[in-house]
Amino acid sequence: MIQLKGNGGRLRCVIPDQIPDGELSQEVRRLAEEGEHILRGSELVVDFESRRVTLELMCLIMRELVIPLELKVVAWKSIHRESLELLKSAGLPVEEIPARPRWEGLLPALRVRRSLRSGQRVEHRGDVIVEGNVNDGAEVVAEGHVVILGRLQGLVHAGSGGDEEATVCARAFEAPQVRIGFKVGSMGREDPWWGKAVTVAVEDGAVVVSQWPSA
Amino acid sequence: MGKVIVVTSGKGGVGKTTTTANLAVALAKRGRRVVAIDADIGLRNLDLVMGLENRIVYTLVDVVEGTCRLNQAMVRDKRVENLYMIPAAQTRTKDAVTAEQMEALCGELREAFDYVLVDSPAGIEAGFRNAAQGADEALVVTTPEVSAVRDADRIIGLLESMGKSPLRLVVNRIRTEMVKRRDMMSVDDVLEILAIDLIGVVPDDDSVVTSSNRGEPLTLGERSPAAQAFRDIALRLEGEEVPFAPLDDGEGKGILAKMKKIFLG
Repeated sequence: MIQLKGNGGRLRCVIPDQIPDGELSQEVRRLAEEGEHILRGSELVVDFESRRVTLELMCLIMRELVIPLELKVVAWKSIHRESLELLKSAGLPVEEIPARPRWEGLLPALRVRRSLRSGQRVEHRGDVIVEGNVNDGAEVVAEGHVVILGRLQGLVHAGSGGDEEATVCARAFEAPQVRIGFKVGSMGREDPWWGKAVTVAVEDGAVVVSQWPSA
Repeated sequence: MGKVIVVTSGKGGVGKTTTTANLAVALAKRGRRVVAIDADIGLRNLDLVMGLENRIVYTLVDVVEGTCRLNQAMVRDKRVENLYMIPAAQTRTKDAVTAEQMEALCGELREAFDYVLVDSPAGIEAGFRNAAQGADEALVVTTPEVSAVRDADRIIGLLESMGKSPLRLVVNRIRTEMVKRRDMMSVDDVLEILAIDLIGVVPDDDSVVTSSNRGEPLTLGERSPAAQAFRDIALRLEGEEVPFAPLDDGEGKGILAKMKKIFLG
């Protein structure tokens, strides 16, 4: 399966050796369909790992992903010697420039001094503190951390640029979904954290909820 | 100079029209000059609930288009002094009236009436905005259901951004026995989310359906708990301090249930 991972302000698309050649075309189309909302217009690193890169595969990626989704491929990675030579000889960038640190370009924290009602949305390139509730139907999208000093029933997306070190803290957590980086965590009323003060973070690739403040 | 109050909700079917009709009658019975406007163009209902459908000649759209004078479109309620209704057009759509036209109309009506109640259509589109445009304040009607509360929250956000104040909440169709079983949100639950002042709690009552079908608003004379709740809202609109009556919980603990027990044994 082709994997899509968040990595700082950019995305990494891993096309491993295990996918049979006959399924590649279908897999790339699936990624383009399901990941369009995340991929469109983003910076991308295409990582073939040890897979042999062929002209057909390159054409497939260009035709199905790069051109229709207006991607900017910043690096084509491979540890397969001949494939790497092929990419270099084609003049494609093979060295990945480090993604910008998460704090670079972020704005000072935004303090929202009221509750957010249904239909209201706050979007900020940095941390966001809401001094009130985030009601069902309201949204907070932040490139940094998000702290809700009231009740969280709406949607919060922390680290919206792909930063999975971002966290969400809420005094009373009653949200069915939280997004961090490119990860989505789902919760239900039956969960022990429902209604409690929590921190939501990504640990070992999974969205985890823990007590806030930590004991 | 009268007050212009929009009665709105976001979600349909929560009781905006019933609230408008009952408050209009209750305020008129207190001697106030009242006009209720049906701003739900294309889906008019207020005329039916007020029992005035047979006397409509002109509509709101006729007024703004200059087909008739304002007083020609106002239907007088013969049962109560000083109560009028301006019907919506049934054969037109929401865009037949602009926000500016509604504002001008409300401005004209406030000169002649103590209360101008505007029955808003459901939704957050132009119809709602037109209805709210000329209003100073708003009554937000909701039922204790999550979908209605979420829509009310949305509407409150929009009304706040339009500068309407005060915004007051009517919680309609509350069923205390369901609240006790935790099958329904309580008034406190609703208030915690919506965070605006409560002006009334109307219990779920069969008499509301009967009165709507007959075109006789409860506040004309009915003595049901819902009728009393609407009368209390009218009093609170007038600035009177009216305590919130305890609701019948279905287990014989409410005021009415206790009285029934006394008389029926």
